[in-house]
Amino acid sequence: MPPLDRTAQQNKTFKQRKSFATRKMEVEGIRSKFPNKIPVIIERYEKEKNLPPLDKTKFLVPHELTMTQFITIIRNRMALLPSQAFYLLVSSSSLASMSLTMAQLYQDHQDDDGFLYMTYASQEMFGL
Amino acid sequence: MNSVSPSAAQYMGVVMQDEQVESRRPPSLERQGSFGFRGPQASDASRDTAREPDEMDKVKAKLMSAWNNVKYGWTIKTKTSFNKISPVTILGHSYLLNNEDEVERFRRDFVSRIWLTYRREFPLLEGSTWTTDCGWGCMLRSGQMLLAQGLVVHLMPRDWTWPDALQLTDVDFEVFRPRSPVRAGGVPIPSFGSLRGSSSPEKTPAGSQAPRCCQRKRPESARDRQAEPIHSKLITWFGDQPPAPFGVHQLVEIGKSSGKKAGDWYGPSIVAHILRKAVAKTPVAQSLAVYVAQDCTIYKEDVVHLCDLSLSQSPADPSDQAWKSVIILVPVRLGGEALNPSYIECVKNILKLDCCIGIIGGKPKHSLYFIGFQDEQLLYLDPHFCQPVVDVAQADFSLESFHCSSPKKMPFSRMDPSCTIGFYAKNKKDFESLCAAVGMALSSSKEKYPIFTFVEGPGQDYGLEGDSSNHSGPSAHILPPDTLSRSNNRRSSEEFVFL
Repeated sequence: MPPLDRTAQQNKTFKQRKSFATRKMEVEGIRSKFPNKIPVIIERYEKEKNLPPLDKTKFLVPHELTMTQFITIIRNRMALLPSQAFYLLVSSSSLASMSLTMAQLYQDHQDDDGFLYMTYASQEMFGL
Repeated sequence: MNSVSPSAAQYMGVVMQDEQVESRRPPSLERQGSFGFRGPQASDASRDTAREPDEMDKVKAKLMSAWNNVKYGWTIKTKTSFNKISPVTILGHSYLLNNEDEVERFRRDFVSRIWLTYRREFPLLEGSTWTTDCGWGCMLRSGQMLLAQGLVVHLMPRDWTWPDALQLTDVDFEVFRPRSPVRAGGVPIPSFGSLRGSSSPEKTPAGSQAPRCCQRKRPESARDRQAEPIHSKLITWFGDQPPAPFGVHQLVEIGKSSGKKAGDWYGPSIVAHILRKAVAKTPVAQSLAVYVAQDCTIYKEDVVHLCDLSLSQSPADPSDQAWKSVIILVPVRLGGEALNPSYIECVKNILKLDCCIGIIGGKPKHSLYFIGFQDEQLLYLDPHFCQPVVDVAQADFSLESFHCSSPKKMPFSRMDPSCTIGFYAKNKKDFESLCAAVGMALSSSKEKYPIFTFVEGPGQDYGLEGDSSNHSGPSAHILPPDTLSRSNNRRSSEEFVFL
């Protein structure tokens, strides 16, 4: 799914920073070196206010890694408390189910450029 | 302080509303310190003004709450139209509003739900200048309503309704032209739960396709009348006084450990945890526990741990006293910017379940407690109505302001994707049928992946160490987040991280 243009300025998404051809080449390069790994892009939801930015956006993950394990790794990188809300969305709108493996997710949602794109977000606040 | 004339308040309103947002937002960002992305500029600006004498803040807060009291003190009466030819569902019960009996049962059901709204002139919230939650506490109120519904099913007779339920106001019943052939003719939806008013004392197993049959007048009125003292008692627990176990004072106090304070905005997940702690803390609900799912997963073994008080004896009797009743709360995010439409069917199926106690969420920024739906619209209770505080310590306090007589609906398309879904299971057997019924409702989604899942084991002990040792791969290591300096972020973020 194309990222929203509103992101603007300094905070461009991975897709905005790199052309399709570059991204495709990157995937091909890394896949040839590590055929048993899946290239994943994780980015913060553009309007996210509670969760910190991740220091990295590109991950190479094993096929058999489950979402539960994957989320635990990301949570740990951000040093989140277990009770802090954290969700990974694929194709920017679907919750990735915890029992899935990365291979299954990749099969269903890989982008044309060969990456698997995920967005992380917490929850919105209500008050008005 | 609340004697502001409407015109004056309106005059201030223009300014106040802006200030409200500004002065409410920065503190929470500040607290989250290093990661506040938009925070720094905004909070710096307001911090400068915040350095001014405290008096200024107090005056501001007072004006703000005065404005909110006026703003939420009256509502524009708009009629809600209900379709006579398609069923309306309230928490597992469906009504086809084409005859008086059904409308009457719908009325009893709706009006019997406990409605908790903004209140004003309650005792000061400790450590703040707030004596009202108007304009900030709506998510806490929605959470209270969800918990209240859980307590109603926990403590009141089965399918209890309030004998003094008010008449419905501001509703119309019309015949809508069916939008899609599937819904034509108001075909009753196959119910996952049992029907209200069922004469059978046995619980219809959740998940069974209970056939709709004509129901007569309720024989339970006498029983419901007898339960009135419990009804009143239950509402006192939500009173706006510091000692009330589920009152706004207590909830705000508990929220402090999650970095929230009076005047902040709350989210459905934070409120789920606040409710969990509030129930664990109070002696009034000792036979009840609250479980909050993590990462969209209900770890069944963790629920069992919470509920089974005699794990060592492994009781055979499912209705054993040694099993706590449980409220299960599942915080989810059903989309990024907006609700992913493919989840709508699943949300409907959940609201059709007998074990569902509702969903706290709302429209963006505006919290609502969802209790049902009709066609493509959600039925809700709205906390955005500022009522004067009721002294629930009085013996015969009026219950009227704790029940709502005008049902409201909004389209699913406006539902904010952030919400917390609530369920209740009285005993072990109930919990097992809950798992089955909810599992079925979840798999009905058009979306390939369910919005949450059940896992047999416990949630705590999946360690990273165990995981990485399983993976073949040249460099299965995880970099600690702090080894990289944030300043040359851009460059380093272009490299792959091996997991």
